[in-house]
Amino acid sequence: MTMEANRTKENEGWTKRKWWIIVLILLFLAAPAVLNEFYLTVLCEALVMGMLAISFNLLFGYMGQMSFGQAAFYGLGGYTVAMLMVKWQFNFWLSIVAGVLVAAIAGLIVGYFCVRLRGIYFAVLTLAFGQLIWTVVFKWHDFTGGDDGIQGVFPPDFLKAPSSYYYLILIVFLISSWVIWKIVHSPFGHTIQAMRENSERTEFLGINIARYQLMAFVIAAALAGLAGAVWVPFYRSVAPSYLTWIKSGEPVMAAILGGPSVFLGPVLGTFVMTFFHAWVLGFTVYWPVVMGALILFIIFFLPGGILGFAIDTIKERRDKEKHPGKGMNHVS
Amino acid sequence: MSFDVLFNQFMSGIARGALLFLVASGLSLTFGVLRVLNFAHGSLYMLGAFLSYSVWTFLLMPTFGFYIAALLVAVIMGVVGLIIEFGLLRRLYSRGWPEQLLATYAIILIITDLVKWGWGGAFLSIPRPEPFTGAVFLFDFPFPSYNFFIILLGVGLVIFLWWLVYRTRLGDIIRAAAHDREMVSALGIPIPWLFTAVFVLGAAIAGLSGAVTAPFGSVALGMDIEIIIECFAVVVIGGMGSLPGTLLGSFIVGQVYAFGIMFLPNLALAFIFLVMAVVLIIRPWGIFGRPER
Repeated sequence: MTMEANRTKENEGWTKRKWWIIVLILLFLAAPAVLNEFYLTVLCEALVMGMLAISFNLLFGYMGQMSFGQAAFYGLGGYTVAMLMVKWQFNFWLSIVAGVLVAAIAGLIVGYFCVRLRGIYFAVLTLAFGQLIWTVVFKWHDFTGGDDGIQGVFPPDFLKAPSSYYYLILIVFLISSWVIWKIVHSPFGHTIQAMRENSERTEFLGINIARYQLMAFVIAAALAGLAGAVWVPFYRSVAPSYLTWIKSGEPVMAAILGGPSVFLGPVLGTFVMTFFHAWVLGFTVYWPVVMGALILFIIFFLPGGILGFAIDTIKERRDKEKHPGKGMNHVS
Repeated sequence: MSFDVLFNQFMSGIARGALLFLVASGLSLTFGVLRVLNFAHGSLYMLGAFLSYSVWTFLLMPTFGFYIAALLVAVIMGVVGLIIEFGLLRRLYSRGWPEQLLATYAIILIITDLVKWGWGGAFLSIPRPEPFTGAVFLFDFPFPSYNFFIILLGVGLVIFLWWLVYRTRLGDIIRAAAHDREMVSALGIPIPWLFTAVFVLGAAIAGLSGAVTAPFGSVALGMDIEIIIECFAVVVIGGMGSLPGTLLGSFIVGQVYAFGIMFLPNLALAFIFLVMAVVLIIRPWGIFGRPER
C-alpha cells in the first residue's frame, strides 16, 4: 500500500527548475576527460542499465505492473545485433534498429498474454516468459551459440575507442529518456497512470486497459532492446546470462533503490548499484549476497527509494515551515 | 508409436507431476494463506537437496540413511522457514506486494551464494535408497522403481494436505484465513502465528522435496530457478492458492513435459508455456483459481 500511495506525480519544484539537468549533461559530456578507462566503462554500463531501468519503471512506477522479464528483451536486442553483425556482416546502425524491432515484436507477443493479468500474476508471467526466451537462446546452440554466446562484435572504426562509444551511449540515453519523459507526460502517459491508481474506474471511462497496457509493454520492450543493442558492440560480446532473471531483477532493484515515483529515480538507483558493484567486485565474488542484503536494507530502512524518500522529507520540511504546528499528515 | 512407448512416457509424466506437486503444493499453500508469493520457494528446495547430501554423507548409513536424512532436512528447512518468516516476512505483511516479492527475491540471491560458498559449484547426488534401486518393467520398458517412491510420496502428500486442510481445525482456520483474514483475526485467532505455521510447513515440504530429488543426480546450482518456473506454470494453470488446482496443474505440466520431450527434447518447456497461454486466454485466474478482486 505504501508504495502505491507514495507514488506521487512529478514534483513541481523539480520540473520547473531545469538548470540542474543542463549541469548534469555538461558533467556527463566532460566525463571522458576525467575518468580513467575502467570507470568510463562502468559509466557506460550504468547508462545502459539506466535505460533498462527506465524501461522497467515505465511499467512499474507509472503503470503499476512489475515486469520480472525485462532482461529478456534486453538480451534479444543484444543477440540480434551480435548475430546480424557477426554472422551476416550487417551494417552497425541497421543492426541496432533491427535489435529494437526484434525486442518490440517479442514484447508484442509476450505482452499479449501478460497484460491480461495484474499484480503478482503479471510479475510471475513476465518472469516465466523471460525464462522461456532464455531457454531458447541457451539451448539452441547451432543458432545462438548456446552457452558460449557470440564474441567479436565490433562497432565501426570511429566508435572503437571507449570514449567515442561513450558519447554514442550518452546520446542514445538522453534521446530515449527524453522520449519516455514525453510519453509519460502525454495523454497516453496520464492514462497508464490512471490505470495504476484505479484500473476499474479507468475502464469505466471507456478505456481499453489491455490495449493501453500492451502499448506500454511494447514501448518498454523496445527500449530494453535498444539498451541491449547499444551495449553489445561496446562489450564486444553477448552471452545467455544477459537474459536471465537475475539480470531482470537488476532494474527492479534499481527502481526501488532510486525511487519509482520519480522519473530519474531508477537511473539514480542504477548508478548507485553499478558503481557499488564495480567496487564490491574488487574484493569478493559473492556479489549476489551483497545485492540481496542491499535489497533487504532498502525495503526496511528506505521506503520509497533514495529520491522518493528525499523528496518526501523535503516536502515535509517545507510544509512544516509554511504551516508551523501542523503535523505531517498532509495529502498531496 | 506403440502403446507401450506411450504408456512409459505417461508414467514418467506422472512421476514428474508428482515431484512438481511436492514443490508446488508448498508454494500454493503459502500463497493461499499469506497472499505472499514466495519466489524463494525453489531456493528452499535447492537448499534442502544440498543439505540432504551433507546429512546423508554424515550419517553413513547405507539402508536408512537416505530416509533419515530426508526427514532431518525437512525439520531443518522448517527452522529455516521459521527464521525467514519471523525475521523478514512478518515485518512486510503491512506493505505492498512489490516489497514482499522483492524480499523473497533477495532471499534467493542470499541462498544461492550460501550454497555456492558451502558446497561449491559441483553436481552432487545420492545413490537410490533400498528398496528402490532397481527398475520395474512396464510392458518391456525399464522404469526406475525410484519413480514409484516419488509417486507414492506425492500421493501421500495429497492425502496429508487434504486431511490437514479439510479435516482438521487448523485446516478450517487456514481456509477461513484464505477467505477473510480480518474476520478470522476478529474471532480471536492469532493470525501471525497461523502465518508462521503455514510458512514453516511450506518450507519443510520444500526441503523434503529437495531431499528426495537428490537420488535423481541433479543436485546443482540452478535447480532452484528451474523448478520454480515449472511451479509457476503449475499454479498459473491450476489456479494460485488452490490445492486441487495445484494437483491438476502438476499432472498437466508433468504430462506435457513428458510428451513434449519426445518431439523437441530441448524445448519441452515451450509446450508447457503453450498450455499456460491457452489457460490464460480462457481463464486468466487458472482452472481452479478465483478471479482477482
